[in-house]
Amino acid sequence: MSRFRLGRAAPKYFALARASARRAWAERAVLAGRVVFLGVILFIFSRVWDTVLARGEVTVSGAGRAELIWYLAVTEICVLSVPLTFLAIEADVRSGDIASRLVRPVSYVGAMLAEALGETSLRLLVLGPAGALFAIGLAGGWPADPRGLAFAVPLGVLASLLAVLSTAAIGLSAFWIVDTSPVYWIWQKLAFVLGGLLLPLELYPDWLRAIARFSPFPAMVWGPGRMAFGYAPAAALETALELLVWSALAAAGLAWLSRRARLRLTVNGG
Amino acid sequence: MTRFSGTLRFARALVAMNLRGSLALRGAFLLQAAFMVLNNLAFFSIWWLLFERFPEIGGWRLHDVLTLFGVVATGYGCSVVFAGGVGHLARAISEGDLDSALVQPKPVLLHVVAARTNASGWGDIATGVGMLWIAGALAPVQLGFTALAVASSGCVFTASGVIVQSLAFWVDGMETLARQIWEFTLTFSLYPRPLFSGELSFLLYTIVPAGFVGFLPAELVRAPSALLAAAALGSAIGWTLLALAVFRFGLRRYASGNRIGART
Repeated sequence: MSRFRLGRAAPKYFALARASARRAWAERAVLAGRVVFLGVILFIFSRVWDTVLARGEVTVSGAGRAELIWYLAVTEICVLSVPLTFLAIEADVRSGDIASRLVRPVSYVGAMLAEALGETSLRLLVLGPAGALFAIGLAGGWPADPRGLAFAVPLGVLASLLAVLSTAAIGLSAFWIVDTSPVYWIWQKLAFVLGGLLLPLELYPDWLRAIARFSPFPAMVWGPGRMAFGYAPAAALETALELLVWSALAAAGLAWLSRRARLRLTVNGG
Repeated sequence: MTRFSGTLRFARALVAMNLRGSLALRGAFLLQAAFMVLNNLAFFSIWWLLFERFPEIGGWRLHDVLTLFGVVATGYGCSVVFAGGVGHLARAISEGDLDSALVQPKPVLLHVVAARTNASGWGDIATGVGMLWIAGALAPVQLGFTALAVASSGCVFTASGVIVQSLAFWVDGMETLARQIWEFTLTFSLYPRPLFSGELSFLLYTIVPAGFVGFLPAELVRAPSALLAAAALGSAIGWTLLALAVFRFGLRRYASGNRIGART
C-alpha cells in the first residue's frame, strides 16, 4: 500500500480502534475481572516470594521482594492487555462472515489489528495504574530504583504490538485448521515459560535461557519486566530494538499469511 | 430406586453420545487433547524451574506440587469432559435457554451440564494421570485413595461451578463474574497450601473452594488416612448436595426465554 493510500486509510483504522476501545470500556465487568485477576496473581506470587526469601535465599542480583513483585506486575500487564483477536478471526472464518468483510474499503487484517490495538490501549490504560497500585500495596512501595519503570511503559506498548501481531497470525491459521485455540495455548505458554512471565530469566538454568534468547518471548515479557530491577537505559534500548525487529518479522509473516488465506478463500469460496 | 437407575442410564447415554460426538472429528479431538497436554506441561515447567532454584517452598517439594497438579488436572478434566455444560449454565439461565430441558422427563441440571463436553479435558486427564503415575500415586496400595481424591476434586469443582453459575437465577449479568470465581477456584487450587494462611484459609474453603478441589484431595494422596478419606468423601457429597439445592431453589425463579427450540 502506498504512503498516500495508507494516509487516506489511517482515519478509518483510527475510527475502528476508537470504536473497539469504547466497546471494551462498555464491558466493564470483563475489565474488572482482569483487574481482579491481576491482583490475585500478584498476591499469590507475593506469598511465594515471601516464603522463598524468608529462607534468606538470594534470587536475582539487585532484586529483592519488592523488585520481584514489580517485575511480575509489569509482565502480567503486558500479557493481560492483549485481546484474544484470534477468536474473532476464527469466528469470521468459520461463519463465512469474512467474505462480506473483505469487500469493505479497509483491509480485513488491518481492521482486526486496529480493533485489537484499540482494545489493547484501553486495557493498558486500566491495567497499568491498577497493577501499579497492587504492586505498591503488596511490595510495600516502589522498587529500590524506580527510574527503570519509566522505560517499562514504552516497552510494554511495543511488546503489546508484537503480541497483537502474533495473535492475529494465529487467528489466520483458522483458514487451515478447525480450531485455533490449541495453537494459541502453546504460543501463550511459550510466552509464559520462555518469556519469564512469573520468574525472571535470571533464575533459569543457562541452557534454557540460551534457548529462550532465540525466541521473541524474552523481548516481549522479560524485557519490559526487568526494568523493575533498576535504571538500565542500555538494556531498555536493546529490548526496544529487539521488539522492533520481531514486530517487523511478525508483520511480514502476517502479510504473507494474509495473502495465502485470501488465495485459499478465492479458491474454496467463503 | 428404579428412577435413580434410570437417571444413571440416561447420564451414561449422554456421556457416550458426547464421546462419540467428540471422536467424530478425530483430528480436532486429538489436536485439542494433545495441545492441552503440552499446555499443562508448559505451565508445570514453571514450578519445575522454581523448585530447581529453591528446593522447598513452605515445606513443599516438587513431588508434592506434582501430586497436587495431578489430582487437580485429572479432576478438572473429568469435570469438563463429563459436565462440560457447567461453564455455560449462567448464560443458559439468563437467556431463558432451559426451556427445552424443562419439558424432558430427566433432571434439568443433568440435561444442561452433561449435554456438553470439552475435548481438551481429555488432555487434562492424560496430563493428570501421567503426573500421578510419576508421583507414585497409582501404586495398587494407594490407587483407591487416589481415585477418591480425584473424584472428590472433580465433584467439588463441578458443584462449585453449578453454585456460582446458578446465581444467575437471582442476579442479571452473572456470566462473567461466575466464570471468574470459578476460574479463581482452579487458579488457587494449583498452588501449594502453605502459601495461604490465616484469614485466607476461610475464603479457600468457602467462596473459592480451592481447599476442597486441590489441597484436601492432594493431602489424601500425599498422606492417605481414613480421616482424610472421610473428609474428601464428605466434601464431595456436601458440595454436590448444596449445588443441587441451590439450582433447585433457583429454578423456581426461572423465567422462560419463550424460544422455539428442540432437543434431540
